Amino acid sequence: MAGKAVAVVDTNVLLNLAIPVVDNRSKAPTGEDPFKTLLVSYDIHVPDSVLGEVTDASGGDDLLSQAAKLVLRAADSLTTHDVRDEVGEPVDYGLDRGESEAIWLTNNRNVDFLITDDFGSTKYLLLNLALEDRNKLFTTPHILCTLAADGALHPEYVEEALTYYFETKSWDGKYVGLLRERYLR
Amino acid sequence: MPEEKKRVDFNADVSVIESADSITEVTNDTRTDFIIDAIKNEIRKLRNDEDFRQEVVDAYYDGRIDHSIAEDILGVEEATRMKLLKESIDRTPPEPQLEDSVPTDEEFYDGKVPTWKPDERSKSASEGT
Repeated sequence: MAGKAVAVVDTNVLLNLAIPVVDNRSKAPTGEDPFKTLLVSYDIHVPDSVLGEVTDASGGDDLLSQAAKLVLRAADSLTTHDVRDEVGEPVDYGLDRGESEAIWLTNNRNVDFLITDDFGSTKYLLLNLALEDRNKLFTTPHILCTLAADGALHPEYVEEALTYYFETKSWDGKYVGLLRERYLR
Repeated sequence: MPEEKKRVDFNADVSVIESADSITEVTNDTRTDFIIDAIKNEIRKLRNDEDFRQEVVDAYYDGRIDHSIAEDILGVEEATRMKLLKESIDRTPPEPQLEDSVPTDEEFYDGKVPTWKPDERSKSASEGT
């Protein structure tokens, strides 16, 4: 892991990257594994509670559960931190425990950036306010585009993946469109 | 404290004004109050219209309107969120550190990747997303 930039991620980022990998429907992009690619391209750190949340999500037999199971199988590739005592109750500002702990890690450990999927709601504001250095905050689509620009993922795959997320997660089409223009075209 | 006033002069089709006047005969409003209420209603309607809000988002990202206009229509929170998100596009994330090759699924996941397809009987109910 030496030399890799350190990123903290929360539960949704892990699950959302794993979802297209396990999704066998025709709408899902194929040919690459963005979850695996992220974990080998960067040094990914998570608070313990994130793995707990992923475990909780893995119980059923729906798409999300399958994605959670996949994440758990790669858990060895994640560096975990027990920061429960650092982040007291109640958690701050409308962020849940996993998010609060991810923020704490980013602010207090040697972390280069934080990746979030929550850029379409007020939560994005909260993340910006809670981070000591908000220049460390990046969104999943931005990182996917970066991985494509640097050759870690095929640009065509990322194009398809962005469309898939736009359709299934209602990601902000305009913002994603600007990222596409900057990185993929 | 009463708000500052701005005088507005405009020409409108006679038929429109006559229709408004007919209504105010019944409601006992003044013509001015009726027109001002109509404007307020239209503003409220547009501010809450998803399609129009998306137009505002598009206009902001395209640079056709500035932050203060976006804020006036979308509200402080949403406009600030957009501003921060737009600014973030100009930041460059740390470079990925690519090794010579990505590990195989066998190595990385300790086996093949399981796949999911909805059950024919319970299609979207089991998508869980």
